[in-house]
Amino acid sequence: MVAGMRFGFEQIRRLPLALFVLLYTVVTGGPFLWVATMSLRTTSEIFKDPYGYPSPAHWEKFADAWTKSNYHTYFWNSVVVVVIAVALVTVIGAMAAHCLARYRFRGNRLMRFLILSGLVLPPQLLILALFQILLDVNLYNTLTGLVVVYVATHIAMTVYILEGFFMQIPQDLFDAARMDGYSDFEIFWRVTMPVGAPAIFTTVTLNFIILWNEFLFAVVLLTDDDKRTLPLGIMHFMGSHQLDVGMVATGLMIAILPVILIYGFFSETMIKGMTAGAVR
Amino acid sequence: MAVITVDQLSKRYDSTVAPAVKEVSFTVADREFMVLLGPSGCGKSTVLRMIAGLEPITAGTVSIDGKVMNQVPAKARDIAMVFQSYALYPHMKVYDNLAFGLRRRGIAVGEIDRRVRAAAAKLGLTEFLQRKPHALSGGQRQRVALGRAIVRDPKVFLFDEPLSNLDAALRVTTRNELIKQQREIGTTSIYVTHDQVEAMTMGDRICIMNLGEMVQIGRPLEVYRNPADTFVARFLGNPPMNLLQGRFAIDDGRAVARFAGRGVELTKRATASLTGYIGRKVIVGIRPEDLYETPHAGASMARLPARVAVVEPLGAETLLVLALEGSGEELIARIGRDTALRSGDRFEVALDTSAIHLFDPDTTKAIV
Repeated sequence: MVAGMRFGFEQIRRLPLALFVLLYTVVTGGPFLWVATMSLRTTSEIFKDPYGYPSPAHWEKFADAWTKSNYHTYFWNSVVVVVIAVALVTVIGAMAAHCLARYRFRGNRLMRFLILSGLVLPPQLLILALFQILLDVNLYNTLTGLVVVYVATHIAMTVYILEGFFMQIPQDLFDAARMDGYSDFEIFWRVTMPVGAPAIFTTVTLNFIILWNEFLFAVVLLTDDDKRTLPLGIMHFMGSHQLDVGMVATGLMIAILPVILIYGFFSETMIKGMTAGAVR
Repeated sequence: MAVITVDQLSKRYDSTVAPAVKEVSFTVADREFMVLLGPSGCGKSTVLRMIAGLEPITAGTVSIDGKVMNQVPAKARDIAMVFQSYALYPHMKVYDNLAFGLRRRGIAVGEIDRRVRAAAAKLGLTEFLQRKPHALSGGQRQRVALGRAIVRDPKVFLFDEPLSNLDAALRVTTRNELIKQQREIGTTSIYVTHDQVEAMTMGDRICIMNLGEMVQIGRPLEVYRNPADTFVARFLGNPPMNLLQGRFAIDDGRAVARFAGRGVELTKRATASLTGYIGRKVIVGIRPEDLYETPHAGASMARLPARVAVVEPLGAETLLVLALEGSGEELIARIGRDTALRSGDRFEVALDTSAIHLFDPDTTKAIV
């Protein structure tokens, strides 16, 4: 009987938490579900009943968005820019983090300070300077220019996450690899990178999500329609079809899909990577 | 074939603090098993890391077979090292852990496979070759770490406290296994430990370090029987040697140590070397096992009145913590297991006078 009472008390104690989680899910998941239903409905259906169930479901809208409104170009532009930028920022960031975590060299702390200070600078502050620099080096309005900017602006966070993780890799592992005959560069590729894989996945996932949705730099640094990335494409979509809410929703779903896939694949390793080191 | 010579080796991390290693010199003969023994932070691991090439040398030289190695990078020294943490690559299977060093050296795949399997068979790891380190027990990991060293067939083995992460029972079996392997392979080895039992049982010779300096080097029993100073006397042996305040004197031409209110005649001591200490204070060292409940026939024995403070029956033997009546100093005696003595009893503890050590109280060095 005591156990029963305790069980009841435990449930009551957890009630506020359950309510909070429920509320949080409704607030974050609700709008997403709403856009998802709208992506399968026509604009006129939506105006008649904004919260209606998609019946019949207009799957053909996805094909229309893809073919009729240059969406495939935006999509591939995004893929190219984001994949290259994420690959570069991961490799360069990992190398920097490896050096900061492993080697004691003169200026080590200054270097770390300079790199990590990139974390506190808001992107709005950089945009004018970047615009001018890209103009000067003929990279304005090019995907290459956008890749360079993305790499530069995301190095700080990448180094920050990776350095913390790499520092926890025991020094003995590196010493063992040195005794086994490997050079510093080989040790980076064959020990640091594989052992640090959880942290690497974390930065890859985070950078991918952030860059895939990046709008500010893209809108300032790209002008040609055929160079636009997805977030710009959606905006463009709104401009040319002022009231076509249904198509905007379809476009949004296409844009979100890769992010969901990436997160679905890597969420577990990502959480592991982000919490590693919290408990030593 | 490898003779390691360490000459005046020093390490200083920061010019403002005392050096971590100060002018350490010794030679390890071919096929010899040398143990570096000392408390934590005495610089023994730093010496090992300098020999390995993992730590830059501040002063002095490390030579292998007469060739100075100071500027030779770790990978070119042909040394294999076993780390305290084992340092197994967590993302590789046991097989790849063993093969990793060989692959870098451009050895043919068939030969690598042959060597890996031979080492695995020797260490009983064959069935674990396809496992990753996290799926192995502590003892198995330790064997993989050893295998990684063996498989390379290097000139020199370095061991950095390889047994300290194992539980007590496993440590004993692994210790014996390691000695067996080293004797079989015959590779020159340097073994760092803070465990005196490991040092005594494994080393052909032991080199004792304290505060970055080498204190004594010699065969284990030699060092145990003739400690160079009070540090070695207390560090080797468990419980450690008892050290008492005393005074040296000559009585009727006989050498006498006065301590605990008694004068004890010293035997087997060259009186000539002691003349400088006549009338001076000395430290008297007595090992717990040289104290007896009753005098031994045949040996020259002295007796000291004492009160039993604590009785610690350990099963195979009994330790007595005694308070000496003469001076109040504490003394630990290791006596037979079937003693009837109880805490608070008074008796005269017997002492083998031929086993008394004398140390200079100023320099703490042994007076020979």
